Amino acid sequence: MSTKSTYRHTVESFKNALGLGEQTIETSLVERLVFYVALGLSLFVTLFPFYYMIVASLSPESSLYSLPPTLIPDEITFTHYRTVFGPETFPFLTYFKNSLIIATITAGASVFVATFGAYSFARLDYRGRGIFSRGVLMVYMFSGILLVVPMFQLIVWLGFVDSLWSLFITYLVQTLPVSLYMLGNYFRSVPEEIEEAAIMDGYSRLEVIFKITLPLSAPAIVAVFFFTFMIAWNEYLFASIFLESQGVFTLPIGIEALASGFHQVWGEIMAASLLTSVPLIVMFTYLEKFMVEGLTFGAVEG
Amino acid sequence: MVSLTRSGERTIEEKEALLGYALIIPSLLLIAAVILYPVLYNVYLSFTAVPLSPTESPEWIGLQHYRELAQSGEFWSALWTTVVFTFFSTTLATLGGLAAALLFNRKFRGRRFARGLVLLPYVAPLISIAFVWRFMLDPLYGIVPYVGADVLGLYGGDIDLLSNGRTALWSVIFIDAWRYFPFAFLMLIARVQAIPSDMYEAAKIDGASRLAQFKDITLAELKYILATVFLLRWIWNFNKFADIWLLTRQVDTLPIHAYKVAFANYQHGQAAAISMVLFLALIGFVLVYVAWILDW
Repeated sequence: MSTKSTYRHTVESFKNALGLGEQTIETSLVERLVFYVALGLSLFVTLFPFYYMIVASLSPESSLYSLPPTLIPDEITFTHYRTVFGPETFPFLTYFKNSLIIATITAGASVFVATFGAYSFARLDYRGRGIFSRGVLMVYMFSGILLVVPMFQLIVWLGFVDSLWSLFITYLVQTLPVSLYMLGNYFRSVPEEIEEAAIMDGYSRLEVIFKITLPLSAPAIVAVFFFTFMIAWNEYLFASIFLESQGVFTLPIGIEALASGFHQVWGEIMAASLLTSVPLIVMFTYLEKFMVEGLTFGAVEG
Repeated sequence: MVSLTRSGERTIEEKEALLGYALIIPSLLLIAAVILYPVLYNVYLSFTAVPLSPTESPEWIGLQHYRELAQSGEFWSALWTTVVFTFFSTTLATLGGLAAALLFNRKFRGRRFARGLVLLPYVAPLISIAFVWRFMLDPLYGIVPYVGADVLGLYGGDIDLLSNGRTALWSVIFIDAWRYFPFAFLMLIARVQAIPSDMYEAAKIDGASRLAQFKDITLAELKYILATVFLLRWIWNFNKFADIWLLTRQVDTLPIHAYKVAFANYQHGQAAAISMVLFLALIGFVLVYVAWILDW
């Protein structure tokens, strides 16, 4: 073995041991073992709660409330799911429908308005543009809790208490700055030459937006839609203040009410929790690539 | 008519500017209505006694709420809890994300799939996560007390980790870090992969140790993005409400204190003052951080 190849080999092992290299070849058994143990441990810590959620939602009462806790169920039951979908205990489907409506409408409205706003301060030149774009960054840091008292006064004054309108308004507060910020960052990354070339060819600015920029930005727009949908799907604070009757409850409020209203319904709660995760996980699986790209254009609140 | 004839004479720049205003106006109006107005209204309310009935108008009382806060032990303890919670959950999530990013930088079979799985805690709904942890930490039938206390004997089994005043804060910190480390991971992984491998080769020629390589190359290259991730997580954890509230009622951070004052005690003016302090403390931190650490 020449000195050079020995040297290269050592460098690669160093990099791999630190997890910095790209190569997997030429590493010692110990190094590979350490790597896979670390990988296995981190995946275990990350995924165990989800595995446990599934197991608990499928386990009969007898094994949920006994020690040691069940890790692999010897009996699988769908009772908890039947209870969740049955109307006797709590109207899960109503909550699900409410969450779906409010999250879709909020995300749609927020992305629609923000697309044009973000394009405006990312691309067009006018007085005050800098203030707008920096202002969005400021507002982006605001969180629900800072606005909860004035929003409460405002919603009471508007007469929107106990209606989904209250959530639509308050969720716009939380999603619009995120959408504006992320889309603004994305539009800035689209090469300006493409748009300039189209204008040379006789397109108007509006035609450029609709025929070139928006189609090019479709992945980013989809990612931003997902993030805003996620924010609305998760929102608890405002929903807990404004919603009073079961008919308008969203999932976070409904499941919380189930947990505080009954004792020892962990099976049902785990089934409901799992079903609540389904839309986000399906969307995420489908959009993973866009989502990761979306995040690099602007972090989303969480 | 005048505007019609004039519009024909507009330069391209003027047209662009007009279109710019037209496109941004809906966003501006909405932000003004649902964010700026409430923020200013909050400032006003913090100087008033807000009556229970919405038909009566608030009564101006000046700095009274702020004076009461300064003398309230609950307020100072909530501020301290907020700082402790924010510092540890932010640090843990950032370090966890860094470790995961370094781990996943290595190529292995199924890496793309595994990467998607790591993002699950961040993507899954908060309500599901809060309840699965509550179940896992349940003092009677939870798996964590069973393994931690009964099997490993790490602590006495009679402690309810989420309801006990001493352990609740740390449980919440850990769960928050678990939920948000994928965010740091996502932000860091792209940057980690962009570090050129010849930098490590050059360092090796100079005889740099692994630790020195990690410190002088990896950390140096990631400094800016690490600082940014830390700042973003700090801002969001500082304002965090639902994640904590859904897990336990035993951890009183400032947002939770404000919520209780507003909607359990119905003292809206006082709550407005608390959120003002929260906001000012956050802005103060961000300014100091940006000036000293990020060096913008």
